[in-house]
Amino acid sequence: MIRSLLRILAPAILSACLLGACAEPRFFEQDNPQRLSDWNLFRDDGSRFIPREQTLVFAPANPLFTDYAGKLRTMWLPAGGQASMRGGELEFPVGSILSKTFYYPTGADGVLLESIDHENELDRQRHRMIETRLLVRRDDGWHAMAYVWNDDQAEAFLRVAGASVPASLQRSSGTEEFVYFVPNENQCAGCHVTVHPDGPLHPLGAVPEQLAAAANPDGAHPSQLQAMRERGWLEAAPVRTAAASWQDSRADLDTRALAYMNIHCGHCHNPDGAADTSALVLDGRHRNPVELGVCKTPVAAGGGAGDLLYSIHPGAPERSILLYRMESSEPDEMMPELGRSLAHEEGIALIRDWIAAMEGDCPEPVRAFGNG
Amino acid sequence: MFTDFRIALAIPVALTLAACGEPQPQLSFEESLQQQLIEAEPGDVIDIPAGTHELTRSLSLNVPGVTIRGAGMDSSILSFRNQLQGAEGLLVSADDFTIEDLAIEDTVGDALKINDSDNVTVRRVRTEWTGGPLTTNGAYGIYPVQSSNILIDGSVAIGASDAGIYVGQSTRIIVRNSRAEYNVAGIEIENSTFADVYDNVATNNTGGILVFDLPNLPVQGGRNTRVFNNSIVDNNTANFAPEGNIVATVPAGSGLMVLANDNIEVFGNEFAGNNSANMMVVSYHITGLPIDDENYDPFPESIHVHDNSFSGGGAEPDSEPLALLREATGQAVPDIVWDGTILPGKTAPDVICMRGNGDADFVNLDAPGGFAAPSFEIGPHDCAGEELPEVSISTGP
Repeated sequence: MIRSLLRILAPAILSACLLGACAEPRFFEQDNPQRLSDWNLFRDDGSRFIPREQTLVFAPANPLFTDYAGKLRTMWLPAGGQASMRGGELEFPVGSILSKTFYYPTGADGVLLESIDHENELDRQRHRMIETRLLVRRDDGWHAMAYVWNDDQAEAFLRVAGASVPASLQRSSGTEEFVYFVPNENQCAGCHVTVHPDGPLHPLGAVPEQLAAAANPDGAHPSQLQAMRERGWLEAAPVRTAAASWQDSRADLDTRALAYMNIHCGHCHNPDGAADTSALVLDGRHRNPVELGVCKTPVAAGGGAGDLLYSIHPGAPERSILLYRMESSEPDEMMPELGRSLAHEEGIALIRDWIAAMEGDCPEPVRAFGNG
Repeated sequence: MFTDFRIALAIPVALTLAACGEPQPQLSFEESLQQQLIEAEPGDVIDIPAGTHELTRSLSLNVPGVTIRGAGMDSSILSFRNQLQGAEGLLVSADDFTIEDLAIEDTVGDALKINDSDNVTVRRVRTEWTGGPLTTNGAYGIYPVQSSNILIDGSVAIGASDAGIYVGQSTRIIVRNSRAEYNVAGIEIENSTFADVYDNVATNNTGGILVFDLPNLPVQGGRNTRVFNNSIVDNNTANFAPEGNIVATVPAGSGLMVLANDNIEVFGNEFAGNNSANMMVVSYHITGLPIDDENYDPFPESIHVHDNSFSGGGAEPDSEPLALLREATGQAVPDIVWDGTILPGKTAPDVICMRGNGDADFVNLDAPGGFAAPSFEIGPHDCAGEELPEVSISTGP
């Protein structure tokens, strides 16, 4: 009886969803739907793209640079679901969905502009959306995927192999043509698997240190862990010191530089990461000079060495491979390898100041034998 | 009747698609290949059809047990000459991996990088920079690193600005039946253990075959490598490595160079026409670079050189001390050169033993004495060195 009643009602429920009244985000246990809208994470009134009120818009304390794009991040836990603290990390329940929409503000003639403000919703008149990445917590762990927005901004489609989006960005320093790269799923793992190669894929932004900060930079709002607790997503907000941010102008140079490397280098350059082959440990936690690359010669850098001898030459940023690779936009030379096509001027300035302020010197090699 | 029914069905489907925006975009060759690599299951064979396929982004594989198979190293070509993204052509982190019968050309960085993988077979694969030896070429051709049970067989590497075939920080390695040409280093075994390098041709590189151990790496203590039955001939291409890299210090005209490695057996090779020296054994100190690593042993030891043939070479050394030697003696640089650095307490035969190398000549350069008193006495090195066991690996045939 109940079953046949459901059978009669089902089409009605379905059509209600199509009309937008079915407001709950939807978790897919196995297959990734082809369309972002199927996840139902956002409300779309035709002109604006708005996170559903069931989601929490959040921002990490120490953000990653991605070609000057803005990032609108949301978190959603399924009804009744609760995250817990395990081994110092946040363990999200199965069904949780994190989203990150990469966008640019648009200028008068549709040109892309550098993103400066945090947006809590996106207006198609003023923003162009490039991609929306999802991290979905399933039975067997986190899954990463990217949806790429179509030209008319009506829908974003799943792109397992990523996408290349030619773009033109106007900044105060001029207009730059570049190709914005949407990562393929292996490239997602390239950063989100920090224990190479068989470690678990995990969030980098929705972690306790990153969420311990207020969502709004003015600090007027409570910590985002507290916001999670208020939604019933955490039993108790853990007491954490927010991660140091490379953007924090009140912090000292050393703290800011290590924070910058932590978020831009540390996912590969950690003791278990994909870049441990280089013996450079740039995860912001190791401060031993050789591990940071002070007077360290390159191993397999190729052209990335930039005809320079040392990763960091104290007091001489222009002689330091680390800075050279940040300044380069050549795919075989630049660092980080993924996540940018443009050089990050503010990051470069920070690391330049940091190396310039370092004391000490590296020996000049006495090349006895080579062809030097 | 049936036809009408189908048409009636088709119309609403089309309307639905339009209502949801543009349909899913068509995938290019590179996008569908990358998607295949991501969605592969263990045991899958991914075919690369004959033809030249243009790619703009790195490919990557993380799924174990996959074979990538082309139709031949001269017919299935992955060309990266228009590459826009990625530091390599194909990046693999997957156990039980086989790649065969294809070519990877003109990558901006490394051609084939295999990181953290066990049981790796690279068979009849060509990596090449087609514009000749240029500093702007990518660093490595075939590049397994921190991997184990590696077979590189019947492959070809041309034009790498660092090493054509480079095995780093790895163990249980066979490199055979392969050809390395016009690279800075033809074949390089670095910070690795248990390697057999045989039946290869290394020619027209800056240095033919290098066996190196370097400091400040998570895997070091390079030892137990056999280099045998190779043809190491005319490696005289001017060094075109970007400055700063260790191979940028290798003199043009180096046949085989052993740097800071221990337990190396070199036999049955043909050395000819390498114009700095056919063979060199040196310590890391020769690089002039600082060593900030207390666990590192910069000295080569137990180098056993026997039953090789040497001819020509040493005529135009690309190295100041070798050039001075050439000038002072009026003779070509001897076939086998040792820098003469030695750990206190060790003796000459602890470093190099040599027998049965025909009329090969030898010099100890006296690098510790500032090259002041070179010695040509081969007698102190007339000893029976250790014969190393064959390397066995667990990978496929």
